[in-house]
Amino acid sequence: MTEPALAHIDLSGVGKAFRIGTQTVPVFSGLDLSIAAGDFVAIMGPSGSGKSTLLNMLAGIDSPDSGTLRIGASRLDQMGEGARAAWRAHNMGIVFQFYNLLPMLTAAENIELPLLLKPLSARERRLRVDKVLELVGLNGRGKQYPALMSGGQQQRVGIARAIVTDPGLLLCDEPTGDLDRQSADEALSMLGFLNRELGKTIVMVTHDPQAAGHAKRTLHLDKGHFIEETRAA
Amino acid sequence: MSSLLKQVRVMIRTNLSSLPRRVPISASMVLSVALVVCVLAGFLAMARGFEAALTGTGSQQVAVLLGGGTNQESGSDIPASVIRTLGAMTGDMGVVRDAAGNILSSREIVAPVEVSGTDGVARTLALRGMDASGLGLRDGIVLSQGRVFTPGTREVVVGDRLANDLKLKAGDTLRLGSVDWTVAGRFSAHGSAFESEIWSDLDAVRAAFDRQGQVQSLRLRLTSPQSLTLLQERLGTISGTPLKAIAEADLYAGQAGRTASLIRLFGWPLALLMAVGATAGALNTMMSSVSDRAVEIATVRALGFSRLAAVVGTWTEAVMLASLGVILGLFASWLAFNGWQASTIGANNTRLAFQLAVTPDVLTTAGLLGLAIGAVGGILPALSAARVPLTLALRARG
Repeated sequence: MTEPALAHIDLSGVGKAFRIGTQTVPVFSGLDLSIAAGDFVAIMGPSGSGKSTLLNMLAGIDSPDSGTLRIGASRLDQMGEGARAAWRAHNMGIVFQFYNLLPMLTAAENIELPLLLKPLSARERRLRVDKVLELVGLNGRGKQYPALMSGGQQQRVGIARAIVTDPGLLLCDEPTGDLDRQSADEALSMLGFLNRELGKTIVMVTHDPQAAGHAKRTLHLDKGHFIEETRAA
Repeated sequence: MSSLLKQVRVMIRTNLSSLPRRVPISASMVLSVALVVCVLAGFLAMARGFEAALTGTGSQQVAVLLGGGTNQESGSDIPASVIRTLGAMTGDMGVVRDAAGNILSSREIVAPVEVSGTDGVARTLALRGMDASGLGLRDGIVLSQGRVFTPGTREVVVGDRLANDLKLKAGDTLRLGSVDWTVAGRFSAHGSAFESEIWSDLDAVRAAFDRQGQVQSLRLRLTSPQSLTLLQERLGTISGTPLKAIAEADLYAGQAGRTASLIRLFGWPLALLMAVGATAGALNTMMSSVSDRAVEIATVRALGFSRLAAVVGTWTEAVMLASLGVILGLFASWLAFNGWQASTIGANNTRLAFQLAVTPDVLTTAGLLGLAIGAVGGILPALSAARVPLTLALRARG
């Protein structure tokens, strides 16, 4: 793996509201957040607290109405949708709650998807896929289809897909929400390894306190505001 | 390969691989396209077959003389005085003469006769009476069975297409009007309209149908196709009745053009109406496809795939399903229609048999209409694929 790009996250005065019919429902108003490169942050909070909206904005899937959103050297709040898509392809990986593997593609082909957005030869792509398969402990399983894998194995494929482009930032949306305890612990251990050993900045949204316990710090969000921060011992 | 092409290739592959999840609705799109293609191909094959039968009929070097200001033999009448005047004309008229200097011609009439086929259904056929020289004035005629009719007798020769239809062979007896005729032989004219006629001696036909002295058309062999103009000029000097000289090939081609246009006039609107319905069906199918693949589309878009890849991938699926329909429709139309015997009322209000021809241009036209259904029906769903909300990827079970 090459040295990951620095992914310092900085939100300043971020405002976001949704329009439902004729009503405007504010989610954030003047939200500030700073996450240092190499940090592992869990975000917890009740439903409707704004966790998903925050994750969507960090992923460049949604954009703030006001304020600044900077990740590394990039101002996401100033980018159009196309630019944000290109930025996503090169700077971050997403781990989904339900893995979101394409069922008609093999594990290796699923992992290869983000690499198709890069100017790499087929051989270079295959080498990278093999490398991350080994990293997540699925060596030799590349030709298996997702339907033939357990939930834990599918999530490991999802993690491999998220890191195959060697991004500096990993966004995890309830990564253990669909897993049994043992598989969840394996996935969280893997995220911890990626943070500790490879320096990935990780932001994880979760409802599970045990999952949050693997992070270096946990931010508690309620009604669009961070109300508490706990740090791992 | 560029990144976009790689993205499009993956989108197409995932779309097509997920088709088994949508078999019934995808099959309905394929079948509706196939039906449209089949119907249009049927009409076009009919028009093309009719044209082939008539445009392959006649020669540019034979002139057909018609009288009474008509373009068709049925309403034509050439007075005996005109024929005598023509025979007496000297100098170059642009027509071939025999060794004695007489014009090489055939006086002819057409009598519509009703004949019952083997299926018991009555058909109105053309019985053509002609001079003995009439057979020699027709190019490309080959006697396929028996012999030619003997002048002055109730003998006929029958075109192969008609003889096959009526199951007639040399030696058979055929009742035309109120008398029996003997089939002396059969002739082939390479599938042209001549094969839908029965030929006999002019005087025998006149006597049997009480049309003594009548001549509806006069066939003349031209010295060259260009000589028609000279003949027309010389005819202009004959007073008493308006005369018209038309190249034999043009006479039949003119009939072909009118009827083929009529067939197309019925076929195209019907096919286009069906195509509109099929396009709506295609749109529905592809909207279902986008809905079915929404999470997959949102996922790859969340990974960084472009909107364009989602658009092209979906649109390509629509075109590929339409292509399947086109292949199915063309194959079915070729199996069902190519070589199929049909008949219609031709000139002289008599039956004209022809063979439907599913030619490459028919296949191309019908195929393009089928592809257009997929191409047009796929546009809105493709644009809708580009608008799938990416948040779907984060919250939906894949």
